[in-house]
Amino acid sequence: MTATIELPGAATAPAPTRRAWNVVRMHVSNPFPTLVVPWLITAVIFGLTLAIELMVVRAAGGVDNLEPDAFQYNGGITWIAVFMLVTAVQAMNLTFRFALGFSVTRRDFYLGSSVYFVLLALFYSTGITVMAGVEQATDGWGIGAAFFAPWGLVSQPLPVIWAACLMALLLFFFLGVAASTLWVRWKAYGLYAFFVAAAVLVVGVAWGITATNSWGALGDYLVSHSLLVIAAWSLPVTLACAGIGYLFLRRATPRA
Amino acid sequence: MDDGRPIFLQIAEGLESQILDGSLPVDSQVPSINALAQFHRINPATALKGVNLLVDVGLLVKRRGIGMFVAEGARETLLAQRRAEFQKLYVAPLVQQAKALGLSTQEVQDMTSKEMDR
Amino acid sequence: MTAIIEVEGLTKRFGKVTAVDDVSFSLDEGGIHGLLGRNGAGKTTVMQLLTGQDFATRGALRVFGESPVENAHVLSRVCFIKESQAYPDGFKAKHVLKSAPWFFHNWDQSFAERLVADFGAPLDRPMKKLSRGQRSAIGVIVGLASRAELTFFDEPYAGLDAVARHRFYDHLLADYAEHPRTIVLSTHLIDEAANLLQRVLVIDDGKLVIDADADELRASATTLAGKASDVNAFAAGRDVLDRSQLGGLATVTVAGLTHSDRAAAASAGLEASAVSLQELIVRRTGGAPAPQEDVA
Repeated sequence: MTATIELPGAATAPAPTRRAWNVVRMHVSNPFPTLVVPWLITAVIFGLTLAIELMVVRAAGGVDNLEPDAFQYNGGITWIAVFMLVTAVQAMNLTFRFALGFSVTRRDFYLGSSVYFVLLALFYSTGITVMAGVEQATDGWGIGAAFFAPWGLVSQPLPVIWAACLMALLLFFFLGVAASTLWVRWKAYGLYAFFVAAAVLVVGVAWGITATNSWGALGDYLVSHSLLVIAAWSLPVTLACAGIGYLFLRRATPRA
Repeated sequence: MDDGRPIFLQIAEGLESQILDGSLPVDSQVPSINALAQFHRINPATALKGVNLLVDVGLLVKRRGIGMFVAEGARETLLAQRRAEFQKLYVAPLVQQAKALGLSTQEVQDMTSKEMDR
Repeated sequence: MTAIIEVEGLTKRFGKVTAVDDVSFSLDEGGIHGLLGRNGAGKTTVMQLLTGQDFATRGALRVFGESPVENAHVLSRVCFIKESQAYPDGFKAKHVLKSAPWFFHNWDQSFAERLVADFGAPLDRPMKKLSRGQRSAIGVIVGLASRAELTFFDEPYAGLDAVARHRFYDHLLADYAEHPRTIVLSTHLIDEAANLLQRVLVIDDGKLVIDADADELRASATTLAGKASDVNAFAAGRDVLDRSQLGGLATVTVAGLTHSDRAAAASAGLEASAVSLQELIVRRTGGAPAPQEDVA
């Protein structure tokens, strides 16, 4: 007796964009650690920074007794970059293995995860820019503080802050991606290789500049070009990291 | 399901017993393959094999789209079959055992009559 | 019947270790089948290769007629549940069940909910804090509710007690009856699952040593017991799989007895009994040393 078995849904997979989008949803299905906690941590760091600055103001007897840029050189907000790095590493490691277990192809996973990172970067850079806007509007929270747009971003227009933030976050995301795919493939040796390669690159570039006596030219360039253009130099690095990430994830297995 | 005989045979024999003792009368529906499989915790293919054994000898009939039913005269066929095997399956071992114990033909016959009258 | 899995000369090497050694078989669509063998025999590796999670060193591999590697069309119809499944940090069972429908298009939410209730799986606890049995329960729930056309269960009941295991078998059979598909079950607990299996593939040391129908396999050997002299006389010249003796009594397991052989054994006063699937497989996979020929 030949039994014809009717298998439901023998159609092919959903379209590539849908599949990539499902990976995004997967990353977001537990939103608390990646969408809420970072804001809470930022709020705490901001609160602490503000508290310290207020104490300084009190001790100095008033804002006018302080240098105008006293509170502009703090790096509290940069922790977000570390967060991006860590998120990327976790995504490429644990979430990758989970996705493989859910029958997702590496290509769909990488595509979806990249979209997710871009969206996260947009989310945070937009949020930071909004806070920076409030900061600028309140004249540094009334005490000339610059937390959300410190250093060179203090007096920049909001779109510039937004773009610089975005590019920096993207850079750290994909640095994390590249580092972790190397780790997934080759564990500790992969990471060592990554940092050694990065160090070699930096030293190599520095050596190249020295050899061609271009430090002066570099200085001129940095001075004469806007922050935005300089920040844009990070984009090729970001793209290179994204490429490296995919190259090595393609052959990664859940065990290795 | 014990380890004694192939499972599909046990399924077939179980159904045969039910036909013989009347719990599955003629024209009644036999449990579906899936129900048998789930009840005995076996693979449906095995259950199918067992049922097909009975279909092949005409004890069950398949009605398309409905299920398996006990065929006309199934009980009679089975009785005749079992009767024919009775001597080989039960009497021969009994006699062999009786001989091993040194019982005479008369003793065995007496014992048999006593059992039949009980 | 179309073949859902076709494997030819499949080999996988990890450095010097050959985990899968020239394995060839084909599996038809539909049915509950077993991929059996001892721990570390290569069963998980075979399944990882079949689901594109790992890459073959050599050999051809076709699932639904195509290579499964990086093939979304094939993989979306496959579900692979394994014990060592990793979960994103902070993921709870509820997140797993929430995201499953996006990847398994036959997913049945109400069935999943019934299974959750039946297995008593804790939904609101982080996956990494669950016990082994609870993780297995989640895996089993996903595997069953996915209703994937090809579902692999790799040692799905690690940590599950006997009650939960039998619940799994019952659900498996019941759901398979309603929604026929192809299920490949890998386990080293052979006897428990033996009755559920249609086709049996046994891997030993990376090689495929048995590829047979479960019933045929069971019928391929018989254990005979009786007086030692009778037993040894009968077993002479036959394919003996196992032999043991205690005083004047002996048992021997022989392969391939014909109907007349059985009659001969019976008249020789030997008692025949079936050999369980587990015993058969243990014998064939180096579970016991080869029996020495009796001098008597």
